[in-house]
Amino acid sequence: MAGPVLELRNLHKEIPRNDREPFMIFKNINLSLRDGEFVSVVGPSGCGKTTLLRVINGLMPRTSGEILIDGKSAAELDHELVMGFVFQGASLLPWRTSLKNVLLGLEGRGKNTEEAEKVARKHLELVGLSGFENHYPHELSGGMQQRVNLARALAVDPRILLMDEPFAALDAQTRNFMQLELLRIWAATRKTVIFVTHMIAESILLSDRVIVFSHRPGTIRSEFQVPLERPRNMEMRADPRFLELENILWKQIEAEVNASGGFAQM
Amino acid sequence: MNERTDKLISSLLKTGSIVAGLALWHILAEYVLNDPTFLVSPVVVVNTAYEMLFVTGELYPHLFASSWIFFYGFGLSILAGVPLGFVMALNPTVRDYVNPWMTTLYTTPRIAFAPILLLWFGIGGGAKVAIVFLGCLFPILINSYYGMRVVNREYVELARSFRLNSWALFMKILLPASVPFILAGIRLSIGRGLTGVAIAEWFGATEGLGYLVFFAGQTLNIPTLFVGVAAFAVLGILGFEVIRRVETYATPWRKQSQGG
Repeated sequence: MAGPVLELRNLHKEIPRNDREPFMIFKNINLSLRDGEFVSVVGPSGCGKTTLLRVINGLMPRTSGEILIDGKSAAELDHELVMGFVFQGASLLPWRTSLKNVLLGLEGRGKNTEEAEKVARKHLELVGLSGFENHYPHELSGGMQQRVNLARALAVDPRILLMDEPFAALDAQTRNFMQLELLRIWAATRKTVIFVTHMIAESILLSDRVIVFSHRPGTIRSEFQVPLERPRNMEMRADPRFLELENILWKQIEAEVNASGGFAQM
Repeated sequence: MNERTDKLISSLLKTGSIVAGLALWHILAEYVLNDPTFLVSPVVVVNTAYEMLFVTGELYPHLFASSWIFFYGFGLSILAGVPLGFVMALNPTVRDYVNPWMTTLYTTPRIAFAPILLLWFGIGGGAKVAIVFLGCLFPILINSYYGMRVVNREYVELARSFRLNSWALFMKILLPASVPFILAGIRLSIGRGLTGVAIAEWFGATEGLGYLVFFAGQTLNIPTLFVGVAAFAVLGILGFEVIRRVETYATPWRKQSQGG
């Protein structure tokens, strides 16, 4: 069997402060993802899970530890663009149409314009937005904007897809629908995914594996294989195995919240 | 209520406001004050303007002189202000050097500069263009600077997550994000530029709308004075309209948020 796609070794992140000890965000993160695995990270607010994604993606420097992609250091691979990032807000550029937004990551990557446009159109189709190529973001609903966001991250054909609470800003109904859509799209692309969320049910529904972060400084408290077969569907939320895991995860997160000073601190 | 009725009501209100204002002006001039050395009716102003445009043609040299000065000073201020604003936004050292001067020059009344500039550049076009330039520069400079400073952090991170280089970051993110701010600055500078034209031509000129207004005021030629003022107003409105069209063309994604 091939080695892990992503491997984090003793990853450690702190932010230096004047006249005080550094502010520790997370420490001793050891994690490896195999090819095509969907892993969710859950944990109390402020536990550093979003920062973890940003460090993996190189938006923030790490303090120590190693990030390996297919066994190679992420820092060395920097310009090869091996990761796609789906931001919490849609972060679509308002002056670009859907198509041009999806093209952003493809521009200047040696592909000719025609070819890049074909790739962009294909990915808009994949996320179910054929016919909306020339719409500006303000003409799209929140769910549609997140579809464009996903298409944009996928269009560069990343080795790893990092998703930072992509559905947090959507209403409950749209969110459920988008979860199903993500399952469909993931099944079609089989990307290796790290998905950060604060919604336990979402993490179970989508993932092969759920990682629980402790309160700050974030460490990996525990991890669980999701005992549900694929393809997943919404009915599985009533499955006893689903409910049992949901219950366990909730208790763990509750304990972490209490340990960090309770809900009043959130 | 739908958008179309809203628009219709809005334009009716605007037209009504203009008509009411002109009527009030007419009544004041003809029936209340009745003193043509103090105020003349808009009817008289329109007649005079017609004469000056189509009978004697004496308005044209003034119009051309003022327009020329305006476009020169205005154009130069865009050419200088936008890049300087960008450089200030991207380079803190430059910002710290320019900032105190910018604040000083921006807050000092421009009319105080006029005699100095006339002294330096002489009564020819140079001084006038310089006065207009100074008037237009700061709104454009400050808006270009500000526009680039407040670019959404997420857009910048997006560019970094796609590993765009600095040039691509500038061209694909920072510049387009700043365009609405730059255009707003340009729009603001139109009024300031026209003020500059008036000031410049008061101080030393033999033609131009500012000269016309000043001279007519000195000789109590009230109809001509009003024609001069109206010509300034028309230039300003035209300038605004041009920029509005450029905005609609250059920023089609803001269609919805742009009211009249």
